[in-house]
Amino acid sequence: MRPSSLARRLFLTAAAITVIVLGLSGVVLSSLYRETAERALDRYLNVYLKNIVVDVATAQAGTIPEPTSLGELSFQTPNSGWYWQIERLSGPTSEMKFSTSLPSPGLPSLDEQRIPIRSDGFREGYVNGPQGQRLRVVENLIDLGADGQYVVTVAANIAETEEEIADFNWTLFITLSLLGIVFVATAWFQVRFGLRPLGRISQSLHAIRTGRAERLEGEFPAEIAPLAREVNALIDTNRDIVMRARTHVGNLAHALKTPLSVLLNETSGKKDATAEKVREQVAVMREQVQHHLERARIAARVAVPGTVVDVDSVIDGVVRTMEKIHRDRAVRITSHVEDELDFHGEEQDLAEMVGNLVDNACKWAKSRVEIRARAEPSAPSADRAFLRVIVDDDGLGLPAGARQEVLTHRGKRLDESKPGSGLGLSIVSDLAHLYQGRLELGASPAGGLRAELVLPAAES
Amino acid sequence: MRLLVVEDDPDLNRQICAALTDAGYAVDKAFDGEEGHYLGENEPYDAVVLDLGLPKMDGISVLESWRRTGKQMPVLILTARDRWSEKVQGFDAGADDYVAKPFHMEEVLARIRALLRRSTGHASSELVCGPVHLDTRTSRVTVDGNPIRLTSHEYRLLSYLMHHTGRVVSRTELVEHLYDQDFDRDSNTIEVFVGRLRKKLGVDVIETIRGLGYRLSQPTHAP
Repeated sequence: MRPSSLARRLFLTAAAITVIVLGLSGVVLSSLYRETAERALDRYLNVYLKNIVVDVATAQAGTIPEPTSLGELSFQTPNSGWYWQIERLSGPTSEMKFSTSLPSPGLPSLDEQRIPIRSDGFREGYVNGPQGQRLRVVENLIDLGADGQYVVTVAANIAETEEEIADFNWTLFITLSLLGIVFVATAWFQVRFGLRPLGRISQSLHAIRTGRAERLEGEFPAEIAPLAREVNALIDTNRDIVMRARTHVGNLAHALKTPLSVLLNETSGKKDATAEKVREQVAVMREQVQHHLERARIAARVAVPGTVVDVDSVIDGVVRTMEKIHRDRAVRITSHVEDELDFHGEEQDLAEMVGNLVDNACKWAKSRVEIRARAEPSAPSADRAFLRVIVDDDGLGLPAGARQEVLTHRGKRLDESKPGSGLGLSIVSDLAHLYQGRLELGASPAGGLRAELVLPAAES
Repeated sequence: MRLLVVEDDPDLNRQICAALTDAGYAVDKAFDGEEGHYLGENEPYDAVVLDLGLPKMDGISVLESWRRTGKQMPVLILTARDRWSEKVQGFDAGADDYVAKPFHMEEVLARIRALLRRSTGHASSELVCGPVHLDTRTSRVTVDGNPIRLTSHEYRLLSYLMHHTGRVVSRTELVEHLYDQDFDRDSNTIEVFVGRLRKKLGVDVIETIRGLGYRLSQPTHAP
């Protein structure tokens, strides 16, 4: 999992709480059960003990009676684990009697374990009996006055109880483990299901970045709906700012170029030095305005996630326009555009690049201009798709050295490059670079110039 | 030839109108989109110079509206917004050519001449009818190689007839296409001008079709 992942935090918290809670429950349940089991055994032993005590108390003075009413065969079976023992501590004679099941010399005393006798004469404890049996012992000290003091002891092997407890613990462990697995799985599912809208947001943002969508679409849960709303608002604001900047730039262009036209025309036909100077300076201003407005337009749109533009319709529009502009020249313009080819960027920019290339080709072509556009075969590792627009003409072409010269603006900072390349190709090259694409010039098989434009394509 | 100039900048409007008038056209002017749209809709212009950035109604809308109502006159758009996307938009709206600002007036004149020539089906900028030659670039008229001096009204009349060689042109049509809207129109003056033109040319190329108008054709006999 990724570092500081929300899913991981939620999942780990849920898992840790599950383990701790179930673990504690296991410990508590197990010890409760053990207590209950011991108490049940004690109650059992106490019943036998009371019977024997009654027998002892009602027996002929000075004798130790054979307990009669126990009704439990285990007391007669040697080493059965069920034992009783009666000991007279004082009185006429000190003697001891124990069940036939108990081998001599009887049960070890609880004294060794320093368990005090309670005021009611009872005490309980564990001892190691014959054959290493672990025994639960219940003892009662009774004082019969003249008849003397007796200690009556009943013991039982706890192996059976321990076995029961172990069984219970095992069942408990299995149950709690299963419960834990169910809880953890539920937590995992909840995290996955609960966080799915976040995944959707991230996918939508990716779609916006790659130009497949313009906004975050669809319903989002109440908690992240504000986030989606804000992102959309941000995208809208961004787009608004760019649109406004572009409008301002356009207005500036219009505002400056009209007075320039007036100045230029006011001097036309005049031959004096002032008129010459004005004409010259107007030409400089015109170039500068053109150049810097173009840069401003470019700068205004760098940060905007682009849209998807159908290449075919843009090239169609350019071809229609060129056919009108160059209708007096017998140039045939043909175009072949691959189906469903989409440019990832601004429509105006694609029109600007293709328009400049085709216009240039039409100016130089003898009889025909051919435009082809297709998807660029991409390496599997490449994270973006590209498309290629090829414009061929059958004019004079450019010698290899001159081709390079036209493209020398490449790599330089935008504000360093000088306005005007004479072919309008530098602006195409700059725009293409802005889109992480490029403009390549070569020789056309038809004899003229081949211009190849590589641009990002929208992923379908 | 009668033209309409729609341009909101008063100086530029004046300059374009002056240049076009000097070149021998009758020129009407409009300073906003609505006025331009109205004139283009109701007057028979031979060509229009249309700025795209206009107050009240932008140039593209004006142009689209004209084309929707079937107005076919050639339109030259003037625009400061010279990106290709905007040019495509202009041509798709029905423009026939464009000039980007800032421009040299000669450029506008040349484009207008080309549009008029193309719309009347002429391939060359020099119009010929028998011995009469009219160069639209220089506004010079020659008969058998000898230059003829014409007043601007006479030149307009001849130019219109020569652009429409072989077609009968009514007096009303001539009035509509030779004078701007502010001119005091009197179709009788047309007859006067035709008379003077015939005299100056000295060749019988202008034929009167009674009740219909005039037709320019190859002279049937030498004078």
